[in-house]
Amino acid sequence: MSFLRLDGLVKKFGDFTAVERIDLDVEKGEFISLLGPSGCGKTTTLQMIAGFVDPTEGRIFINDVDVTRVKPSKRNLGIVFQSYALFHHMTVADNVAFGLEMRNIPKQERDERVRETLELVHLDQFSHRYPRELSGGQQQRVALARALVIRPEVLLLDEPLSALDAKIREDMQIELRAIQRKLGTTTILVTHDQSEAMAMSDRIAVMHEGRLAQVDRPYEAYERPSDSFVTKFLGKSNMFDGTGKGSSDGLGAIDVAGVEFLVRDVDIENGALVHVSVRPEKIRLIEAGKGRIDGTVTAQIFLGDQWVFQIETSLGAFDVVTQNTGGHQVGEGTTVGLDWSPEEVRVLARAVAK
Amino acid sequence: MSAQTNMRPYWLSAPALLLYVGMFLIPMVMTLLLSFYSYDMTAGVVPGFSLANYAEVLGDSYFHKIFLRTLWMSVLVTFFCVLLGAPEAYILHRMSSPWKSICMLAILGPLLVSVVVRTLGWAILIGSKGIINETLMAIGIIDTPIKLMFTTTGVVIALIHVLIPFMVLSVWASLQKLDPKVESAGESLGASPFTVMRRIVIPQIMPGILSGSMIVFALTASAFATPSILGGRRLKVVATTVYDEFLGTLNWPLGAAIAVLLLVANILIITSYNKFIERKYAQAFK
Repeated sequence: MSFLRLDGLVKKFGDFTAVERIDLDVEKGEFISLLGPSGCGKTTTLQMIAGFVDPTEGRIFINDVDVTRVKPSKRNLGIVFQSYALFHHMTVADNVAFGLEMRNIPKQERDERVRETLELVHLDQFSHRYPRELSGGQQQRVALARALVIRPEVLLLDEPLSALDAKIREDMQIELRAIQRKLGTTTILVTHDQSEAMAMSDRIAVMHEGRLAQVDRPYEAYERPSDSFVTKFLGKSNMFDGTGKGSSDGLGAIDVAGVEFLVRDVDIENGALVHVSVRPEKIRLIEAGKGRIDGTVTAQIFLGDQWVFQIETSLGAFDVVTQNTGGHQVGEGTTVGLDWSPEEVRVLARAVAK
Repeated sequence: MSAQTNMRPYWLSAPALLLYVGMFLIPMVMTLLLSFYSYDMTAGVVPGFSLANYAEVLGDSYFHKIFLRTLWMSVLVTFFCVLLGAPEAYILHRMSSPWKSICMLAILGPLLVSVVVRTLGWAILIGSKGIINETLMAIGIIDTPIKLMFTTTGVVIALIHVLIPFMVLSVWASLQKLDPKVESAGESLGASPFTVMRRIVIPQIMPGILSGSMIVFALTASAFATPSILGGRRLKVVATTVYDEFLGTLNWPLGAAIAVLLLVANILIITSYNKFIERKYAQAFK
């Protein structure tokens, strides 16, 4: 039985449907991300779990208890807000102690738990400072400590890292994940950053226009996206419209404007309308004429650890990414061949315009 | 840097400085000097230097009563403005878009009308033949009119109405700076709405309440139009007393001494109140 269950959640604001029937089961101790672009309903979903927004339909269960109509103050959830929402008139220790005070925990135990939690987030030296005297990353840790100290049933993280700069954000991702593993707190992260979601979660739930597009482990979702939205949202992809040409010997064939794409282990009906996609890092650059298609390099961008190429072909622009393993210089304007294996090609059904 | 460029800021601020000196500093200094002159029934104002006027005001129980009444009124008006204005600002802050503007206009509207006109409006409402008394008597709740005209209560009610926009505005300004999520945060940690208000919201909007109450207190202590129309000649406050000394008995030096004392009292009370609140809610002011 799952620990947190969302059962047919719907939220409508007047005529606008923010969340359209969400069913999600989260296991105890699991770290799951609600991932999607802004306006996809992920924040509304989190607000419903937290109790700040009443669902129009559906129910929420935590540990088999229906909490749909329970007040936020009685749900025992830890929430880290995007703006941190720290109490600026209280010291760090008082901020963290607030939730324990509300639970009438005796002072001695309270102090002990505040000290432990501040140690966990490496802020034990700062307990008598005020939030405004701390850096953004430190304030973020205070917010996390304040949410964790009450030993919440579920930890809700609402874009907690988006206000930090890139370097600190990466460090915090690793640390947050480590803390979550250590405490085993069931955690829901809301984010629009796919790499953050993939780096931290056991599973990601990709949301699109108020619905769950795919719920899967990060690797699965990236390698086997369920539709073209997930494909594009979880990373770059070279995607083309094609038509099926049947299959034989475990290889499906798809025609894309005269170029044949072979796909491993997929049955393709003749005439089926499909999308084919190949991730940029799965394409190899080889000598012109020897690949599946030729193209001209129109741009090459050096990112330190990798090269990003834009290559113009008869099918349109291809993005190609190669690791910077040294000695690999192509040069803009050069004609190159693009090669990939049938295992790396993904096929998705294409919705037919009616 | 040459001396010429160093002088530029002074030249640039000279017009404003001149205006300030001419319109504010000179009259103040002259009032201060005037308060040391003496007054003679036959000779009028006699230049000189004596503390006789101050001695008279500080020694006479008649003036004590006027000063105490003014202080009491200021405290009452400030207290009720905080009590009504702060929640009003909070409710306004939480309202949604179209109603917010409409209610804001309703609160600020009175500022667009002359204080004399607004006070006369109150006179029509609270007079013994006013709407309030007539209505209450017609329904049979009271037999004789409630006396509000020429009473402290009447003046205080009208002053609260006149000054509450200042309180609402300054509390509103500090609410704008408050992260709306702190209330959700408090709630999620298990606090009741009342506790959230008491422990989280109020301490953080204290600067607004403080500046609002300083404005209201200072304006009440020096209010003239409302006390003179609703309080009449019998219910004197400091400002109306100064007016009477200047234009009634023509004892300008005594009037000036009372005015200076009012200013000094105002400054003393406001600065010590400020210090007290700032110490108590130190973090909210950072």
